[in-house]
Amino acid sequence: MKAKFFKLLLPAFAILMAVGLAFATENERVTQEAHYFLLGQGWQTVMIEDDCDATGQSPCEFNGIQLYSEPDFASIALRKP
Amino acid sequence: MANQGIHSKLVTLFSLLLTLLFVYTAVSKLIELDTFQWRLERMPYIAPYASLLSWKIPFLELIIAGLLWLPRYKIMALYASFMLLGIFTLYIVLVLKFSDSIPCSCGEVISALGWTDHILLNVSFMVLALLGILWSKKKYNTQTHQNTT
Repeated sequence: MKAKFFKLLLPAFAILMAVGLAFATENERVTQEAHYFLLGQGWQTVMIEDDCDATGQSPCEFNGIQLYSEPDFASIALRKP
Repeated sequence: MANQGIHSKLVTLFSLLLTLLFVYTAVSKLIELDTFQWRLERMPYIAPYASLLSWKIPFLELIIAGLLWLPRYKIMALYASFMLLGIFTLYIVLVLKFSDSIPCSCGEVISALGWTDHILLNVSFMVLALLGILWSKKKYNTQTHQNTT
């Protein structure tokens, strides 16, 4: 009886906890505009997540092309941790 | 024999942890389904299947989490957990090794982890699933042997 009770209670508890945790840690996506230069087509704008900024170790790229904060090569070349 | 008792409890604990992981990640994706799809669309190799995968992945995770608690399907669910985590880990490794553009990290709490930490987390859960398979099979074989003798 006790074992059966636990077999029902344990998964129910785990599922409730996971659902609660998912809602508790829900965060709004923060996006920003970024720009890249495509040969023949000029500057293109894409929406990216906010983990790209002026600092970081690896470059922020879109399809392998470096992203910039403005449609200008003199602007910040975006990087991410 | 005493080991089997411990193993059985550990398999329950592993199932509990895998359930937590799968339900948490599935619900997180479903809460922000459009965001999840948006992220998938920016992932290398799988972008064309983004709309399909954005539904199928959380659905599959919830099914596996449920099957982990049905004794008849437990081993199958542990295999499925191992494979799902394995595919995801292999995908991350391939992206990190061969893709020009590394996607943004995934959402929620796990987003605090880098991709390398993500691989470590996945491998840890894969080990739990693998141990669960081995110990559940051992128990199943012993029970079958006892019933036939």
